[in-house]
Amino acid sequence: MSVWKGSLGLSLTAALLLLSSCTQTQEVRAASAKPESERKAAPDFKLKDADGQTVSLSDYRGKVVLLNFWATWCGPCALEIPWFEEFEQQYKSHGFEVLGVSMDDDGWSAVKPYIAAHKMNYRILLGNDSVAQLYGGLDALPTTFILDREGRIAFTPHVGLVNKDDYLSEIQELLGLKRTNASLFRVRPPLAALFPRPAE
Amino acid sequence: MLRFFACALLLPLCSLGQQNKLIVKPGQTLTVKRGETAKESTTVSVLPGFHVNSDKPKDEFLIPLKLTWNPGPLQAISARYPKSEDIKVGNQILAVFTGSFNIETQFKALPQAPVGPATITGKLRYQACNNEMCFRPSTAEVSLPVVVEAQ
Repeated sequence: MSVWKGSLGLSLTAALLLLSSCTQTQEVRAASAKPESERKAAPDFKLKDADGQTVSLSDYRGKVVLLNFWATWCGPCALEIPWFEEFEQQYKSHGFEVLGVSMDDDGWSAVKPYIAAHKMNYRILLGNDSVAQLYGGLDALPTTFILDREGRIAFTPHVGLVNKDDYLSEIQELLGLKRTNASLFRVRPPLAALFPRPAE
Repeated sequence: MLRFFACALLLPLCSLGQQNKLIVKPGQTLTVKRGETAKESTTVSVLPGFHVNSDKPKDEFLIPLKLTWNPGPLQAISARYPKSEDIKVGNQILAVFTGSFNIETQFKALPQAPVGPATITGKLRYQACNNEMCFRPSTAEVSLPVVVEAQ
């Protein structure tokens, strides 16, 4: 009996170690959307786009929206922009839109040249403090919300740089598309790889 | 009321980024004779885990760190920033300051400056990031006690 107990103990320890090692390699299953009953409506706003057109978030009802708060001075935001351009191109026909809200204090004089330099293919609005307050202050950028077709926040907001596949799996889930293996199980690249230590 | 509820829903985001990411400590009392110059060294300490853009960021869209002084009995003639360090963010090389560093300002006492103690004030504008996110540009107030002496 004591031998059996000992074996059981060893097996449990081995299982725990295995689980622990899986966690350390950061192979994780992508998060699932919140149940619909738990989703909160994304606060509505009206902002101008680069053409001077007034845009309401509620105009996007019926579409899955990646709502990204960013700024021209934000390095991690710049890393995400090519991903969003790719998502916009790939999923627009499925009823998906990227909406970027710039939080630049200098306004369009800073943002328009940036849009041109980065050839951004999705709509950019100019944010303000009122919208920032509606979304929790937005002192840290990028901050991104994935909204379902009813304009509700479907996932826990992403504050800071996250993995491209996190976005991909969330978008695909809301669009009802079959998730790729890469988005179901992905190995998170260590942030240290993106941000190496300063050169000595 | 709407903002309150929105903030309550997004509470975890509300608490992020509110505090300063650096501490500014001006040097000790600066004594200058009327019409003469003197150097002052302001110490800036960036909190661990954060970096700020240098005074000369490599990308035109990034916000440089800049120390400016308000008009007073002393006039700031020039500022000297330390050498920045390069870090790689994605495929971009950034020129940043981390840890503790000094900014040297050369002041000149105006010939007509009132003799005696005074305080001059300034502002340090900066934009900080950590490895995952950036924080909105911020300004730290600086105040420096000075004494102007007669020639």
